[in-house]
Formats: sequence, C-alpha cells, structure tokens
Amino acid sequence: MQRSVPLTICLVMGIVMMVQFFSPHPFSRGLLETVNTWVRLISGFALALGAGSLILHHTTKIRRKQPGWGYSIVTLSALAATAAIGWAAGPTMMDNKQLLINVIYSNIQVPLGASMFSILAFYIASASYRAFRARNKEATILLLAAFLVMLGTVPLGKVVWDGFPKWSRYLLEIPNLAAKRGIIFGVALGTIATSLKIILGIERGWLGGGK
Amino acid sequence: MAEKKSLWQALAGIDRRIVYLTLLVVLVVPLILSLGLSVKPMKDVSQRVRQVFEQVDSLQYSGMPLMISVDFDPASKGELQPMLYALLRHAAARNVPVLVLGLWPNGVGLAKTALEDVGREYGRQNGVDWVFLGYKAGIDAVILGMGENIARVFPSDAMGSRLDQHPLMQRVRRLADVGFVVSLSAGTPGYLDWLLYAQSRYRVRMATGTTAVQAADAYPYVGTGQLRGIVAGMKGAAEYEILNQQAGFRQASTPAIDAMDAQSFAQFAIVLLVVIGNVGFFVAGRRRK
Repeated sequence: MQRSVPLTICLVMGIVMMVQFFSPHPFSRGLLETVNTWVRLISGFALALGAGSLILHHTTKIRRKQPGWGYSIVTLSALAATAAIGWAAGPTMMDNKQLLINVIYSNIQVPLGASMFSILAFYIASASYRAFRARNKEATILLLAAFLVMLGTVPLGKVVWDGFPKWSRYLLEIPNLAAKRGIIFGVALGTIATSLKIILGIERGWLGGGK
Repeated sequence: MAEKKSLWQALAGIDRRIVYLTLLVVLVVPLILSLGLSVKPMKDVSQRVRQVFEQVDSLQYSGMPLMISVDFDPASKGELQPMLYALLRHAAARNVPVLVLGLWPNGVGLAKTALEDVGREYGRQNGVDWVFLGYKAGIDAVILGMGENIARVFPSDAMGSRLDQHPLMQRVRRLADVGFVVSLSAGTPGYLDWLLYAQSRYRVRMATGTTAVQAADAYPYVGTGQLRGIVAGMKGAAEYEILNQQAGFRQASTPAIDAMDAQSFAQFAIVLLVVIGNVGFFVAGRRRK
C-alpha cells in the first residue's frame, strides 16, 4: 500500500499530463491550471521540509558537540530571528512593514552572498596557476583554447590583438556549439528514458527506503 | 637544511598568497583609477546583445510589456544586477511597461531595489508603468500557470495590492500578452525553465542574460532561434549600457562599463601567471634531467 499508491498516482498523472500537453481543449487547459495550483502548493511545503531538515541537522550537531557545533548555534539563531521578524512583517514587500527584513537583507545577506562568490575569483586564479600545465597534447590544446577565450572575451584583448575576439568567437560558436548540442541531445534522450522508467514504475529510487 | 630553489622552480611554485595579492591589485587599481580603457574597444557591440536591445526597443511600437525574471541571488549580483538596471532603463526610456518577477526567493529584494531606483530616475509609476509580481514557489508550475492566467498564479503583487487593480494588468492576462521575456539567470531555475515551459509551449519570445560561465551553455539555443539573443556576463551588461548610451538614454551609473577594466586586467593577470607557471615547470623539469 505504502508503495503501490504513490506508484499508481505517478503512472496515472504521468500519462494524463503527457496527453494533456498535446490537447488544446478547454477541459485540458483547466486541468493544467488545477494541477499547477497543486504543484505550487506542494512546493510551498518543500520549504517547511527544508527548514525542518536544517533544524534537525544542526540540533543533532549541537547535542553531540560535533566539530563546528558553535556555527550551528549561529545558523539556528539567524534562522529563528529572521523567521520571527519575517513572520511579524507579513508576506508583502511594503517598505513600512518590512524595515527590519530589508535591513537584514541589504546589509547582511547581499554583502555576504556577493563576498562568498567574489572569493571564488581568487581560488580560480590560484587553481589555474597550479593546475594548468601543458603536460601533453590534450592539455596544451585546452590551455591554448582557454587563453584565446579568456583574452577574446575582455575588451582589452582586442586592443592587444585583433584576432583574440575572432578566435574566441570561433571556438565558442563552432567546436563548443557542436559539443554542447551533442550533450543536450544525449541528456534529452536520457531524461525521456528516465521519465518513462519512473512513470512505469521501473525506477523507484524516488520512493526512498533504499530498496 | 632545505635545498635552495632555482629561479625556474620558484616560478613554477609561486606562493598562493602572492597570487591572491596580484589579483587583488589588478582588480582594485583599475576600479579606483577609473581608467576607461575598455570603452573604446567595446563600441563594436556583439550581435547577440544588439538582438536583445532591438527586441526590447521594438516593444515601444506594439505597446506590449517586457517581462524580466530575476533568477539570481546576491552571489551573482556583480554580473547580473547591471543587466537588470540596463534593461529597466532601456524600457523606461522607451516607455515600455515592465513586469518583474523572480524564480529565486533571494533575488526579489534586488529586483525591488532596481525597480525603485529606475522608477525614481524616470518617474515611472507602479501599476501603470511597472508591476512587481515578486516570488512564488513552484518554478515550472509558476511559468506554466502564467501561460494560462497570470492573476491566478499571482493574485496580488509583491506589495500586496490586488493584480486586477493595476491598469497595466487589464491588458496582460497571460504570457501570450507579454511582448518579450528576459530571464536574468545564474543557474537553475533560470532561462532553461523559461525555454522549456514558456518558449516551447506558449511560443513566448525570449532572451537571457547569464553569468559568463553559463553563456557557453546557452549558445545552442540562439542557433535554433529559441533565444533571441544573449547578454553574457559583465561584458554583455557593459555592451548593453553602451547601447543605452549610444541611444542617448539617461543613466545614473554604468557599473558594468566601470568594472570592465578590472575584469580585463584580472584575466590578463591569470593568463600571465599560467604562462609563468608553465615556463618554470618545463625549464626546471628539463634541467633536472
């Protein structure tokens, strides 16, 4: 029962929605709207699931005094404070109601998010310097292609040599495009096969339980 | 006692703190000095950015709105926020109405700031010239839902006003009533979801603004005509700002153009470091033999 009900729902909805895609009938469009409303509602519950999982993970970490448990206190405190302030402010983004949330967002989240991503530039520079070695033919081709694209996509590359943007464009539009198209077709065929396996109940990993 | 390193070995193993410092200097100095070296070489704007500009420009004749989906968060703000401002300023200058929403919950705050800034610059009015739909969970279901009925997915806007109270929404019921969609995308969900559900199903005309690292993935869809152009990375944003300048539109700032020198120098520095590392590696290796 625990497995057969979700498998049946999956089979029926999979086939119904596949047929729906090709039908412009008003009933079909109405069905799509209803299903979409349900999907959006269920997506909302995923948020609660995520918050629950986060709380469980960090409380366990604190209870067991695992390495870095102090950071878990910071995470949970931030979660509780932001949620409480957000709850009190309500769902709209009106400035007069959202003052505190705006302060948290603009002065903590935005600078922290931007800083975390900016640090990547330094890691990439260091990693490129250490790892990019022309050890063999393939690595040399990769290295040259990387140089051409990097220098061709910045304005000063054109000042140094007019050929950089041309070669960069060629590499992106011919070999890159050919490879990407192949990958996209492969992924699409794989997605169709996996979807069919899920709809027909052959692939049951999504049910969980590990069996 | 440790063996003394030769010059070549030293070149092959530069301390990472020196690499970090080099990058910091080449990024910060051009930003402080505002050299403006990148402006002239960028006058020749790439075709893909020009296509997006022309599509937005054409909306002034049809009167249909531009929809911008803010599918990024503060981490990608550096590359994608200048695109958002450039697009909003272009639409405002041409008096094109705009609908803004986000598939990422953390991005809507950035969208709100941009809308308010450009709204003030151009005297744009909420509900008439723009509507801010905000964020709604569901990703693909949100896009598919808007294909049928926008007001059913967003009964009220992000400020809490009912959607049917806005004059703009009287003529915009579903995605088919939108003239052009631009997804400013930093990953998933992003332009691919718009392509799969809005473009392929509802034949919506669309383009994307992506981070530079994502641009190569989007190229195949320009070839097929599914994407009507790409604004790729900071350079794409700078080119859009240049097109705005060439059209004579008022701009309070040009953050992407201002940052292009720093990006150019940083990429040159990385290439130089890789070359130095390779020279050191090979000469030191040959001497060992």
